[in-house]
Amino acid sequence: MGKTFVVFKREYLERVRSKWFIIATVLGPVFLGLITVVPIVLSSRTKSSDRISDLVIIDATDQGLGDRIAKTLASYTPNAPPPRLRVVKREQVAAEEEHATQQVIDREALGYLVLDSATAAGTVRYAGRNATSLIDVQVIERTVRQAILAQRLEAEGLNSARVSMLTSLTVNAKTQKITDRGREAASGMASFFFGYVIALVLYMMIAIYGQNIMRGVLEEKTNRVAEVVVSSVKPDALLTGKILGAGCVALTQVVAWATMTFIMYQIRAPLLKAFGVPSMLAGAVKIPAVSLIVGVALLLFFLLGFILYASLFGAVGAMVSSQEDVQQAATPVMMLLIASIIFMQPVLLNPSSTLASVVSWLPFTAPIMMPLRMSLIAIPWYEIVGSLISVALGCWLAIWLSARIYRVGLLMYGKKPDMKELARWIRMA
Amino acid sequence: MTDPAIRISGVTKHFASTVAVRELSLVVPRGAVYGLLGPNGAGKTTTIRMILDIISPDSGTIEILGQPHLQLGVRDRVGYLPEERGLYKKMQVRRVLRFLAELKGVSVAVADRRIEEWLRRLSLVTPEKDWGNAKVDELSRGMQQKVQFIGTLLHEPDLVILDEPFSGLDPINAQALKDTVVDLKRAGKTVIFSTHLMDNAERLCDSVCIIANGEKVLDGEVAAVKESHGARNVALSVDGDAASRDRVGAILQDRRVASRVDDQNRFFEIQLAPGADPQELLRRVVDTGAAVRRFELITPSLHQIFLERVGASGVEAGMSGHG
Repeated sequence: MGKTFVVFKREYLERVRSKWFIIATVLGPVFLGLITVVPIVLSSRTKSSDRISDLVIIDATDQGLGDRIAKTLASYTPNAPPPRLRVVKREQVAAEEEHATQQVIDREALGYLVLDSATAAGTVRYAGRNATSLIDVQVIERTVRQAILAQRLEAEGLNSARVSMLTSLTVNAKTQKITDRGREAASGMASFFFGYVIALVLYMMIAIYGQNIMRGVLEEKTNRVAEVVVSSVKPDALLTGKILGAGCVALTQVVAWATMTFIMYQIRAPLLKAFGVPSMLAGAVKIPAVSLIVGVALLLFFLLGFILYASLFGAVGAMVSSQEDVQQAATPVMMLLIASIIFMQPVLLNPSSTLASVVSWLPFTAPIMMPLRMSLIAIPWYEIVGSLISVALGCWLAIWLSARIYRVGLLMYGKKPDMKELARWIRMA
Repeated sequence: MTDPAIRISGVTKHFASTVAVRELSLVVPRGAVYGLLGPNGAGKTTTIRMILDIISPDSGTIEILGQPHLQLGVRDRVGYLPEERGLYKKMQVRRVLRFLAELKGVSVAVADRRIEEWLRRLSLVTPEKDWGNAKVDELSRGMQQKVQFIGTLLHEPDLVILDEPFSGLDPINAQALKDTVVDLKRAGKTVIFSTHLMDNAERLCDSVCIIANGEKVLDGEVAAVKESHGARNVALSVDGDAASRDRVGAILQDRRVASRVDDQNRFFEIQLAPGADPQELLRRVVDTGAAVRRFELITPSLHQIFLERVGASGVEAGMSGHG
């Protein structure tokens, strides 16, 4: 135990002292802050184009719909050229479109809108340079919709002033998540984002520090320092010390990130102001409340998942003798890990599906998938415990296999072992 | 001081289908400088690794300083310098040394004090330059070897095991190593080293064990080993032109005179054939016209004994192997 601690201490101190650790630890929250703030900054700027009225309206409806739309659009952007209205016969539409297309190409207009017999039923065509801008298209759609509604209501005998008063209304949905404990303070969007961040951080930590251990083991092998060390300490204790050391470095980093994120969250109002975000939007940045039990479960999933992958990576490092071979040898382990990333999207979109349940029970995906699901929906406690047991069993198997490969591989030099050779190592140890 | 430093009894080790060490038994007396000799691939490194429990024997027992070698803490009294030497390249010298000492159970405070002493003694810390704070890969190869050597001795082991310590050393460092081995012996420590260089072994060792193909060929005190091989050797050194040397060579080809000759160009070590008369040999050499610089009846060198017992074929077979 004492010697495991000596190894642990070396692993921890050497890694924490490294330049990269310090840089990553300091810059992590800044990066996280940016990816939190930038969408808000962007969303606060989700106004439509300031030239949205600068377009050609080809009106073949014969009902003056184009005129209504043109007036509304022109009122949005008084400083831009108003829409050019072309009231035409249906058979002239194609020719007018050709002409308008040329105008857009020549930058005389932003785009053109075609109103025809289908428009009364709710279909318009828009072509233009801003056709990929969701906001612009939404504004046009809304304008057309209001114009059609107004026209219909006027046809029913309401006067135009009352119509515009009655139809101008914007709806803003304030979402709230309901769990077994009742209504949560945070919005659905925030917990979606939170789950995403948790899963990504777990994945990153396991991938980065797992491979760190792999390179560390390989380095000890290629440096030939391994033999000096195992003459003083048993290989199992060496591997244990290395895994725990790197794991604690990862934890240190996460705790540092969480602390800095929390501080940034506390002072978010002046921070966001510095980015030019209106203060009322600052309330949109919310960290969902994490209960103690969820926190403990997260920690357990991280630790078990980390130990599982770290021991496998450690075995890979002991298997090979050169940098060239190591990436190839690590591929099977990386595949297991990347499976979690592949399933992330479907699980995010539908956290209660069968697929989501299955991947949160498999030992090699559960350490990332279960925390992801837990932050999205309420999971019964027995499923969490069951998943933890499954990961723990996988962990035990991984340690058993890895320790055997590690013991033999650490002092074997030469070509990468094939499966048959590897099986022999496992029997031999 | 009754227990020997090492007692190996009937140890066998297989790797896949090959036998690395077969039924090896040997005793290393306390306070001795002990040479483990043999051609490459004889099983020297395997034996050493088994002593240190880096690999486990298939059968047989090993005792270190009177205790079973698996006993907790017993390996903390052993210092080991492997044949393939290496350190953490990106670590500071002082931190590497502290780590190695702590692995052997030395407290940080004691380790730090000894590290300073050693760094000064091996001039890694001088008034001009302190290499202790440098990273290992900033050091020259010779300095790295010094650091490695300090790491082997920091915990003041009672038993020091050096695997091929002279390989890759320049003459100055080799001399420093020999001096240290002598110092260790004076301090009452036991030193075991493996080598295939018989000259070093002959000068340094109190006792030796020669192994080949995983089996013990002979062991014992150097003087006794040499004694048992008789004083039937002649050291011959000649000057002269090529023709006279050829004539000397021709005489030595005569198996009735010399049963074995180690021709080192200007020096010959000759094992006299049974019944051959050294006076007769001397007379014939003088008759060739070559100038005899040295003609002496000697005990055979370890090198000669090694060649005789292991055989040239054993040496050559081992040359292509490793460890």
